[in-house]
Amino acid sequence: MTPAAMLMAAIGLLWVGGGTIWLLSRRSYRLWQVPQFLMDLVGFPVELAQAWFGRGGVPYALLLPNMAIFGLFTFAPMILNFYVSGTAGASISLFDRPWVGWDNYARIFNCESIFRPSTCGNEGFGYWTAMGNTLWFVAFQVPIMCVAALATALVLNMSIKGRGFWRAMFFYPVMLSPVVIANIWEWILHRRGMLNEVIGGTQGAVADLAGLNGFDLVVTVILAIVLVVVMERAIRARGDDEPSLAWTGVFAGLFAALTAWANPGSLIGLPSSLWIGVLVGAALFWLVMSGHRLARPALVAAGALAAVQLLAIQFDGVFAFDNYRPINWLVTPNTGWPFAWLVFVFCWSHMGFYMLIILAGLQAIPRDLYEAAKMDATRPVRAFWRITLPLVMPTMTVVIVLCLIRSFQVFDEVYLLTGGGPGRETFMVVQNIYESAFATNTPAYGEAAAGSVLMAVVIAVFTFFQLWITRRQSGL
Amino acid sequence: MSRAITFLTRTRGSFDRAERFGISDFLAYAYLIFGVLIILVPVLWTVMSSIKPQRALDNFDTRVLPYAQVQQEVPGRGLRDVFIHTAPDGTETEVVRAGPARAVSDVAPLDDPAAVFQAPREELRPAEDMRVAVENYLDPILQRNGQENFAFWRYLWNSVFVTVAATVITLVINAMAAFALAKYQFRGRLTFTLLIVATLLIPSSIILVSLFFVVWTFGMFGSLWGVIIPAAATPTGVFLLRQYMLTIPDELLEAARMDAASEWRIFWRIVMPLSLPALSVLAILSVIWRWNDFLWPLIVLISDPRQHTLQIGLTQFSGEFDTNLHYVLAMTVVSLIPITLVFVWLQRFITTGIATTGLK
Repeated sequence: MTPAAMLMAAIGLLWVGGGTIWLLSRRSYRLWQVPQFLMDLVGFPVELAQAWFGRGGVPYALLLPNMAIFGLFTFAPMILNFYVSGTAGASISLFDRPWVGWDNYARIFNCESIFRPSTCGNEGFGYWTAMGNTLWFVAFQVPIMCVAALATALVLNMSIKGRGFWRAMFFYPVMLSPVVIANIWEWILHRRGMLNEVIGGTQGAVADLAGLNGFDLVVTVILAIVLVVVMERAIRARGDDEPSLAWTGVFAGLFAALTAWANPGSLIGLPSSLWIGVLVGAALFWLVMSGHRLARPALVAAGALAAVQLLAIQFDGVFAFDNYRPINWLVTPNTGWPFAWLVFVFCWSHMGFYMLIILAGLQAIPRDLYEAAKMDATRPVRAFWRITLPLVMPTMTVVIVLCLIRSFQVFDEVYLLTGGGPGRETFMVVQNIYESAFATNTPAYGEAAAGSVLMAVVIAVFTFFQLWITRRQSGL
Repeated sequence: MSRAITFLTRTRGSFDRAERFGISDFLAYAYLIFGVLIILVPVLWTVMSSIKPQRALDNFDTRVLPYAQVQQEVPGRGLRDVFIHTAPDGTETEVVRAGPARAVSDVAPLDDPAAVFQAPREELRPAEDMRVAVENYLDPILQRNGQENFAFWRYLWNSVFVTVAATVITLVINAMAAFALAKYQFRGRLTFTLLIVATLLIPSSIILVSLFFVVWTFGMFGSLWGVIIPAAATPTGVFLLRQYMLTIPDELLEAARMDAASEWRIFWRIVMPLSLPALSVLAILSVIWRWNDFLWPLIVLISDPRQHTLQIGLTQFSGEFDTNLHYVLAMTVVSLIPITLVFVWLQRFITTGIATTGLK
């Protein structure tokens, strides 16, 4: 018998046998009070504590099971981690493990430079590759997740119909298990899966359309009309002094697309001018957002520029796509696609959770603040920067810390979707720990424990750094 | 005219001061619809794919509905795929291939298998019918057609056992701890509270290795209890319940003490029923956590196939039979169903519960 089984048997015998005798000797139960008796039997230790120590002993008895589990299965492993990280060998029995001191750490740090894992030994190579990948993952994941969650929460906080429905829909992926999520996305992202099919089909249809006579003329006319309408709405929205921000956003998007297609950068030898359009659009957006007095002239100038570009574009050339060659999203090495899709899938599956927390924070902001701002004719954008963001900052801090800790421990989705591949492009720290301790024939528990200790240090540093940066806003 | 437009596009308010359905509303709804499409389309696509016949999945048929090529027993030839042959004059006949597939292949009409003639590939198209492939679900569930290794009922039972046992234990011991912290003044209360906060700060994945040692020492390795017990005490649950129990008036407890009720009976008969809303939130959260748990069960249970939970069984399944996509998708949908039903019924509890606790 294992120690646990013996312990359980002994406790069970004492509990049931002793409890029955003890209870029956002190209280009398009728036959219909059997449920009552069973319930008293479950709480027998608490009753015993009350009988022996009076009411003062009761809270300790109540706390005992919870704290025992915390102690044995959270705090004890935490301490034990340091011990295991100083031992070597593949033995599971703690007393059979030879003490080697700092050896495991030394082997992980056996590198010329930890920033170039290829200069390390085997252990160091795996660990520092994984650590680098994880840090990149966190660096992309946390900002994208927080911005997406904040944007969704802001939209849901507007006066929209069916808020409960939308909120539930965005939360739904949080309920799904990692295995289900991985299977779903593997199926979508397969080389012959739906995503490639949709992209290929759309490109083919557009290319066919672009091959028709007069396509160039029709698209130019339609876009010209759209441009005029958007410009008109953006410049004199609601008759007040300032251009409308939402319409400016639409215009900025249109402008970026037109610039990318017209490609004025090719005149000075640039391969793509999408980013020129994005920069100009962002600048316009910023001008209107900050209420600059040059906002309106800038909009007009950008409109004229857009019209010139529109006339310069040969649309049938832009949309004449070649045959689409399907991409193997999760397998092709050196493209960055596997990594990007992991970030996306992680966002997809966890965004709803953070969105809910931020939404609760937004709804706790008193309405009268916004009404006072409205009285003072404050622009909505200014209200966002001066009221919403500062007041939601404590919640955002919690969200950022939670998101940081969680994405640092990413394992399930990555392991199931790419298995750390292609090569080691998406190999993460937890997978490194898991594989060196549990997925080999010669488990290296000491090394895995040392890796966990280092990972705990990194997480702690990040969390405290984050709290320190935001301490003023959040009042922590 | 403008009044009519105002009437049609207003979102709220009286007629003369109506707020129009402006561009910002339009952008907001566009954002929401786009987001919901990104969330729902993959899930629905998986559900629709899971009822396609194996041949359609192996050919990566991307049509939404489950079409499959008709197969028919032909005397002397066995089970063959049926094609529809369109002759140059427009007449259509159902045929089967009588030889290998070539640019111009020999085909035989179904009505008269002996009258073999030649047909170019362009004149043949598969005869298809729409059929829900129930066997994708039934084969693994009933363990037939070579699916004996996927012990569906055992995995399901293990998953249900882990989920239910862990949830019951979590509810009882967390409520006990929360009751002690909320309703008693005793030495060390602050210490205990701080200890529980500290467990929030210890991520589960950094204690994996040594937790494995602890569980192995207790002899729980390879048994379902090794998954149930370590996760039973949750700091989230303690705080959630403690916050709620603080709102229960002390007078109720005092009145019960006047009637000489023991402390345990006060807890069980008064505090537990009054905390039912908070308990149900915690129960839902616990069910979700335990049902979806992956890494820790993978470590503890992987060595014994009879102890696998549904989630682990699902991964072994896709590893072992790599081509059997139809079974993988069907079982994915099966494991998706309970959690989706729970969500549809209880989504209001879940979303408000998480919004108010804000922890995990």
